[in-house]
Amino acid sequence: MKARSMLGRSVPGTSLVHRLDARIKFLGAIVLMVATLSARDVRVLGFFLLWTVVIAIISQIKIKVIMRSIRPLLFIIIFATLLHLFTVEGHVFLRLGALKITREGLISGGLTALRLALMVVNTSMFLTLTTTPLAIADALESLLSPLAYLHFPVHEFAMMMSIALRFVPTLLDEADKIMKAQSSRGADYDTGGPLRRMRGLVSILVPLFISSFRRADDLAIAMEARCYRGGTARTRLHASKLKAIDIVFSFILLGLLLLVFVVQPHLPLLAFPGGLAS
Amino acid sequence: MIRFNDVSFTYGANEGQLPIRAVDHLSFHVKKGSHVALLGRNGSGKSTIARLINGLLLPDEGSVIVGGMDTRDSLDIFEIRRICGMVFQNPDNQLIGTTVADDIAFGPCNLELSIDEVNSRVDEALRKAGLTDLRDRAPHNLSGGQKQKLAIASVLAMEPECIILDEATSMLDPSSRQSVMELILELKDKSDISIVQITHHMEEAVLADYVYVISEGRITLEGIPAEVFDQFERVRAEGLSIPTHIEIARRIANATTAPYRPEDIFSFDGAVSFVRSVLSQFSPSDVPGNRRDAIDKSPSKSVESEDRRVDDVAHESDCERVVEISDLSFAYVSDAGDPVKALKNVSLSVYKGEILGILGHTGSGKSTLIQHINGILPSKKGTVVVLGRDLSDRKVVREIRRHVGLLFQYPEDQLFEETVALDIAFAPKQLNRTPEQVERSVLRAAKRLGVDSILHRSPFELSGGQRRRVAIAGVLAADPDIIMMDEPAAGFDPAGRDDLFSDLMTLADEGATLLIVSHDMETMASLCDRILILNDGEIAGCGTPREMTSSSEFLESVSLVLPSSKRFLNRFVDLFPNLDTNCYTAEEAADSLLRATAEEYSAN
Repeated sequence: MKARSMLGRSVPGTSLVHRLDARIKFLGAIVLMVATLSARDVRVLGFFLLWTVVIAIISQIKIKVIMRSIRPLLFIIIFATLLHLFTVEGHVFLRLGALKITREGLISGGLTALRLALMVVNTSMFLTLTTTPLAIADALESLLSPLAYLHFPVHEFAMMMSIALRFVPTLLDEADKIMKAQSSRGADYDTGGPLRRMRGLVSILVPLFISSFRRADDLAIAMEARCYRGGTARTRLHASKLKAIDIVFSFILLGLLLLVFVVQPHLPLLAFPGGLAS
Repeated sequence: MIRFNDVSFTYGANEGQLPIRAVDHLSFHVKKGSHVALLGRNGSGKSTIARLINGLLLPDEGSVIVGGMDTRDSLDIFEIRRICGMVFQNPDNQLIGTTVADDIAFGPCNLELSIDEVNSRVDEALRKAGLTDLRDRAPHNLSGGQKQKLAIASVLAMEPECIILDEATSMLDPSSRQSVMELILELKDKSDISIVQITHHMEEAVLADYVYVISEGRITLEGIPAEVFDQFERVRAEGLSIPTHIEIARRIANATTAPYRPEDIFSFDGAVSFVRSVLSQFSPSDVPGNRRDAIDKSPSKSVESEDRRVDDVAHESDCERVVEISDLSFAYVSDAGDPVKALKNVSLSVYKGEILGILGHTGSGKSTLIQHINGILPSKKGTVVVLGRDLSDRKVVREIRRHVGLLFQYPEDQLFEETVALDIAFAPKQLNRTPEQVERSVLRAAKRLGVDSILHRSPFELSGGQRRRVAIAGVLAADPDIIMMDEPAAGFDPAGRDDLFSDLMTLADEGATLLIVSHDMETMASLCDRILILNDGEIAGCGTPREMTSSSEFLESVSLVLPSSKRFLNRFVDLFPNLDTNCYTAEEAADSLLRATAEEYSAN
């Protein structure tokens, strides 16, 4: 059930962010990931914080939903922050036995947390929250299409992804049904030693695999019956042209990259230490 | 349009397996614009024929010609597949797109049409199949009937000349099946598309222009439906059934030696008016002596046994209650995020040793109800007491499950062991029984389901019907006192269904309590002591089959239909005021009519 809610997390809407071309959003998510992680200067990072807030407002997605997207990575964020907190040398601020917290560590840990949080929020705002899985799959196919010249089976790859998307809910239902059926036969997945639990898992996985193979077989025949012959000449249904807004957004992305990699190194140093902590 | 010239096909010929001849020197043809039904038992070779038509399989011998093209000619194969669209049995396994519109577009995209052409075909197909409102839905969120309509729409988008339906309705409930059939007939009328329908549902076969009965890859019977179904014994011998009204009329005609023409009794109304005219002019002197006996002494069975049953239920307070549900409600959140109330304040008692049929349309809460009785779903609102113990205690649930067997729909999907014997042994082994006890339970369950001769084989090399029987044995092997089954015979041909039910009924004779979930009022009315009807999560009615089938308006209000034998007899109550209409098989109905006629005659 959990996996299903993750897949279906996209929030329908008509905002500017929703209407952006999925390919641009996909590239945008990567650019923002690189840019936020490379933002060392506190002013640049502050700018990205502002940017993220603006995008969040434009996307009209509830703040609660956005915050929820951080949750899966919360552990990593806390871990990275603590690592910075305790390992960065500098003015000692607080001593806890063998551990010491420095002022530099505090600042650097805080910036790390902000950087990671911004990265996650940006990715989910552009991809998971405002783009349907299908649109992402189509975008990937389009972005990977140059690889076809290197004999990479781009079309087949995209077809695989789209079929996987189609069948995930079906297989989850099936797993649920098989689990209930085996429980009715006395299988117990919650108690007993590891061996007993493993055994229990077999009674779910084997039928699930077998039925997946059967479905794959049936599906292959159904696809053949509808004249599928693989390949390149198929009509591309979702081929979409870039709109003006997509072009504008691409330039903004380029600007962000320039800010981080060209402007940031030349920014005057800040007066207080830790501004360039790393 | 389609022509088979002496076609043979053998599975496993080149793969070192035991070769199985699925199609054996078969010749037939389908005219353009006609509706042909291929009938036959599970495993008779029908689906192989379908796959030979559009070149998914190629004949070993002979040739298959479609629209003037030979399926072995690889250049024409995609054109053949385009003009012969195919709809398969399992709704889930043939939808490819992630949305309804995408799935319809899949075929046209393969034909390399322009985007505009693809889009206009998608719109057209959506309109024809009545799916326009569902355009952007995910296939997973459609009902079974909607999925099959989508599969048909996806075929239509390729502008076919023929649609092959390979048991396309066999996994649907009766009302979805009917709406899919209506769509097919509408298409056929409007657009001159040929229909090749593979089925074992007689009510679909009677709609065809021509019927072929297939057995072991050969045609054993063919003709227009009226002629084929007139050959009563032969159709029966093929494991198929006869539409009830035809059978009643035939039995009446046989008993009274009245002459008839097959086409006169082919329609329901035709059969009624034939029987009416025969019985109203009837005088026993018309009948030869030996047959007269049959009429006079026609068993006055059902009245007595039915009364005894009613007595049983009348004294129900004396019986031991094995399940007591009070005020049970259950709600969940659907995939689309809407709260669904699956059960609303359901209260129910089940008595020891009874057979309770649970009927209702899809989504009425039948499955949810039985999943509460073995604690698979926890009772959050209301109480469920099974064998005197309250299931709200989760420890009790584990204890109670060994006494309550639950068989899901298509239980063959849960088999996983290397051999049939091991799989059947799974449940008794969980109960910490000694190996000897386990073996005894396995053997007993296997014998009951007739799978004791295949205990050493892998469940995955068996036929679908055998796998189903193994799965059922796997539930029975724990020797449960209460057995709940969700559509145990779904997808079975008529003879297979009757065999399975008669095996299962031996459980009731030995004192087990049976709860059977089904859509099939006809079978349930003839088998069950009591019938529970659910509608939108509420109990719409509960009582004897006689009580539950007394009003067709009531049944219609809960999307069920009267058993056809009862519907037939209801047309005679003006002629015979004392007619016993509580008959659920054609044989009983014909007897009842003959008895009423004899009484009427002697009274005058």
